[in-house]
Amino acid sequence: MELLMDKKADENYTIVIGCGRLGANLANTLSDEGGNVLIIDKNKDAFRKLSPSFGGLSVAGDATDLEVLQDAQIHKASVVVAVTNSDNANIMVAQIARELYQIKRVIARLYDPERECVYREFGIDTICPAILSAKEIDKILSETGLSEEGSQEEKK
Amino acid sequence: MKTKVLLVGGRSKAKSLAASLIKKGYQVTVINDTYEDCLKLAEIDKLTVINGDGTRPFVLEDASTGDADIAIALTSKDEDNLVICELCKKKFHVKKTVALLTDPKKTDFFYRMGIDSVVCAITAITGIIEQQAFVDKIATLVPIGEGRVSIAEVPIPGTAPAVGKKLWEINLPKQVIIGCILRGDTTMVPRGDTRILAGDMLVLISSGKQEMAAIKELTGR
Repeated sequence: MELLMDKKADENYTIVIGCGRLGANLANTLSDEGGNVLIIDKNKDAFRKLSPSFGGLSVAGDATDLEVLQDAQIHKASVVVAVTNSDNANIMVAQIARELYQIKRVIARLYDPERECVYREFGIDTICPAILSAKEIDKILSETGLSEEGSQEEKK
Repeated sequence: MKTKVLLVGGRSKAKSLAASLIKKGYQVTVINDTYEDCLKLAEIDKLTVINGDGTRPFVLEDASTGDADIAIALTSKDEDNLVICELCKKKFHVKKTVALLTDPKKTDFFYRMGIDSVVCAITAITGIIEQQAFVDKIATLVPIGEGRVSIAEVPIPGTAPAVGKKLWEINLPKQVIIGCILRGDTTMVPRGDTRILAGDMLVLISSGKQEMAAIKELTGR
């Protein structure tokens, strides 16, 4: 039974790179859901953002350093998420994960969507906060617009 | 038509490289994200200077990267150099990309990402320092193929054990050959029965860092 559980945990091993607001939040959520999480950040003070209930590992180090990634047992990971505050660092780490360690799912946050052509052909999923926010705001606006029109019609 | 070279980042490296390339007749553009550095760079004649972040596609477009024949990324950050070269290659179809690299362990990775030439500053500099510090008997030593092969110029003093011997009598390491002998005004490509004389200048070609062993064998030091 224990063996089975260990195996199951291995299958869900996620590495989060960058312990900012997004990275810490994601690590907390995954850990609460029972996933096996490891978070890497250059600055060990960043790990304060993790919740007290965080059950994963934290590693202080530069994730663009191959030795740090090896110590984090990147070859066992099923998912690697690169969410540091530097787009270029995210690109490099994502490509290392994909090309050198053949990680199946690699997700990177990208502030500037213009660089996407670099990611696309490597099969790396990208998240762009500006585009997501714009879509969401647009959705809210169109919803309120509809309701305003509705209320105007009622007045008539 | 002049070969067009794009240099991205790098303060003093970009400046001296740009000056040297312009002297050799290349058309050079530099991109630098620090305004003060740009002012320094603008002191060079005929150099086009663009102030901006070279990892951004629109800055590269302003520098008409699409027309460049060679792009060289010289910033101090490995990830920036990788992205610059990938953008130049994939978005602007630059024929040759060169990246400066700080971390020697990533050399293979950079080549795998399609960069044509990766220059690792640490490996190059430590190699040169080693040669300079320990081999004062070598007039010049030129590393090629990332230092895997080197060409050394070795003067033969009168006291050297190799003086008067034929080449096949000298026990040189297997990965070393004597490519050429400079004797006075004449140069010759030696054969097994060529005799080494005092005052000769030997040109050694060696791989696998065997030059030190060969020099010891030839000069006794």
